[in-house]
Amino acid sequence: MHVVLLRVALALYSVGLLHSVLTVLNRKYSLFRLSLIAIVAGFLCHATSIVLRAVELQYMPLTQRYEAFSFFAALGVLGFLIAYAKYRIESLSLFVFPLIFIITFIANLSYDPSKSIPTSLQSNWIYIHTPLIFLGYAALFISFAGAIMYLMQEHALKKKHRSSSFHRLPSLEVCDDLSYKSLAIGFPLITLGLTSGALWAQSAWGSLWGGDLKILFSLFTWLIYLLLINYRLIGGWRGKKAAYLGIAGFTSVLISFFGANYFGELHIFTQ
Amino acid sequence: MQLSLVGLSHKTAPVEIRERLAFDDQEISQALRSLIQYEDVSEALILSTCNRVEIVVDTLGQDEVQQFLCDYHNVSHRSINEYLYTLDNQAAIKHLFRVASSLDSMVVGEPQILGQVKEAYRVAANAGTVGGNIGSLMNRVFAVAKKVRTETGIANSAVSVGYAAVELARKIFGDLSGKSVMIIGASKMGELAAKHLQSAGVSMIMVTNRTFERAVELARSFEGAAIQFDHLYDHLAQSDIVISSTGSPSFVIEKRNAEQLIRRRKNKPIFLIDIAVPRDIDPAVNDIDNLFLYDIDDLQQVVDENLQERMKEAARAEQIVDSEVRSFCLKLEARGVVPTIRQLRETLETLRVEELSRHKKQLATMDESQLEAVDRITKALISKILHEPIAHLKEKTHRPDGSDYRALVKKLFNVKDE
Repeated sequence: MHVVLLRVALALYSVGLLHSVLTVLNRKYSLFRLSLIAIVAGFLCHATSIVLRAVELQYMPLTQRYEAFSFFAALGVLGFLIAYAKYRIESLSLFVFPLIFIITFIANLSYDPSKSIPTSLQSNWIYIHTPLIFLGYAALFISFAGAIMYLMQEHALKKKHRSSSFHRLPSLEVCDDLSYKSLAIGFPLITLGLTSGALWAQSAWGSLWGGDLKILFSLFTWLIYLLLINYRLIGGWRGKKAAYLGIAGFTSVLISFFGANYFGELHIFTQ
Repeated sequence: MQLSLVGLSHKTAPVEIRERLAFDDQEISQALRSLIQYEDVSEALILSTCNRVEIVVDTLGQDEVQQFLCDYHNVSHRSINEYLYTLDNQAAIKHLFRVASSLDSMVVGEPQILGQVKEAYRVAANAGTVGGNIGSLMNRVFAVAKKVRTETGIANSAVSVGYAAVELARKIFGDLSGKSVMIIGASKMGELAAKHLQSAGVSMIMVTNRTFERAVELARSFEGAAIQFDHLYDHLAQSDIVISSTGSPSFVIEKRNAEQLIRRRKNKPIFLIDIAVPRDIDPAVNDIDNLFLYDIDDLQQVVDENLQERMKEAARAEQIVDSEVRSFCLKLEARGVVPTIRQLRETLETLRVEELSRHKKQLATMDESQLEAVDRITKALISKILHEPIAHLKEKTHRPDGSDYRALVKKLFNVKDE
């Protein structure tokens, strides 16, 4: 049942994305409401799917790739909805939904009906570490989208090529603000996530990270964001420089996320 | 409804002719009332702006309207004939739709014309010279104008250098409230751009000029602050938007000034508008991060791009107007035939009932079923008689002689208008 709901969510997200492409291309923002309805409906199905799986497992649904990807995608949509509620940027959907679609699609393909939970993941830490990391990543994803929009708009304004993007993207100020605020939410979340992860590792493997490559990479990601926060707060960085670093950071996030099972031996999802 | 429209616009007449034939506000009501005196005129409307004069009348020949215009302004018909256009019915309706939607304006998409047309309607209504025909037409005119403005982009983007500056500023800063503008030097265009920015919400305007008195004067018009030219660089860091238009032959802001500036602003973005010729600001300054420099050519390019887009949108607007004109005219025609058919039926039904009651005595001897039969037969007879005329009425209704046909049928059957 939850798989079916996830497929319905995927379909609704596609409808939402297609419709918002048309809306933004034609600049008829009054029609965006339809996209929003499709997205919200999709999100409700998606959330229900996750809850159902949780009930079925009697556990946090973050033990296999299907569940992890589904969870991350749902948080991505949530991030978009929160950002839209605050900033009303219609074009943000164009930057956010392609990735969400891909992740949800992969989730659908990766479904493994077994309800067994790998022993390494049987701990209450799963309710703390993993959600925190994912929430952080979702916020950083929004920050990444904001950074890309900033760079596109900045390029248009600098080169005085007011191409199609100029009219459809928000002002530089709004892009930068979106990027900064979601970074300010995301960074503490991944900090807490990594800390709780270290504590979990300590109790499960007896060492803080166990020499695992994926964990090392996540630490590297965290350092990039630490630099970014530092430069923004103290170094007076804004706009372009902050955007580039933000993109580097999220690229790192994506590598850690997708490379989860191929990197190390300890921090893996499926058997 | 038989509309006649006589007019002239910036497209057909130079300003000297337009001003001779214009009506000022006090004159319009009087002119309207004069028009109404004509025998066949039931409704009239006059629109008079600096770019056009339009007279719309329900039921009067175009020649008479032209003559009225000439008589009123005391000019000979020969002298103004070449500048006038005359339209009737569907053409007049289309023209009104286009004018109100700003499609006939000097700058397509301009916002004033709709208000001017609405005002002209208000004045005519107050003078008592609009009724059901022009009234319902004008309501449709306003609705179509609104539709064109909202469904197409003809009014969307900036088509003057001043508005272009505001558009760009909005794309950099988002909300302009709380931002400050520095005007260096004095020029009409600079002043205009600053005025637009002020209307857009900019809160603080500073003015500086080599001649301090000029700065004070200009600052007063903005309720802003005047700055001594020597202190320019001290205050530049507080300005988010700088408009420079001095007569200086050399750069007022060099690259090193700009680098210092952006550092002092802690990288907060700054928008430099250089409308001076020769330029006041070193073009190399645009390479600096968080700084955006636009000179007069750049702004003009923005305007040109926007104008092109506006023209594309205007083509769509014309399509909307065409389809609206078609449906309005169809509705008009249909309105003509339905009441006529109803009146026709009612007239004959009245005749039937009267005739039956006249023969009451003879009918008194009949029983229920026979009376019913008489009733049915008389009704059927009338129906059959009317069948052909009504079919022809419906068929003819969309033809140009439709209204003549209706009038004839009414005459033939002695149908009284209500």
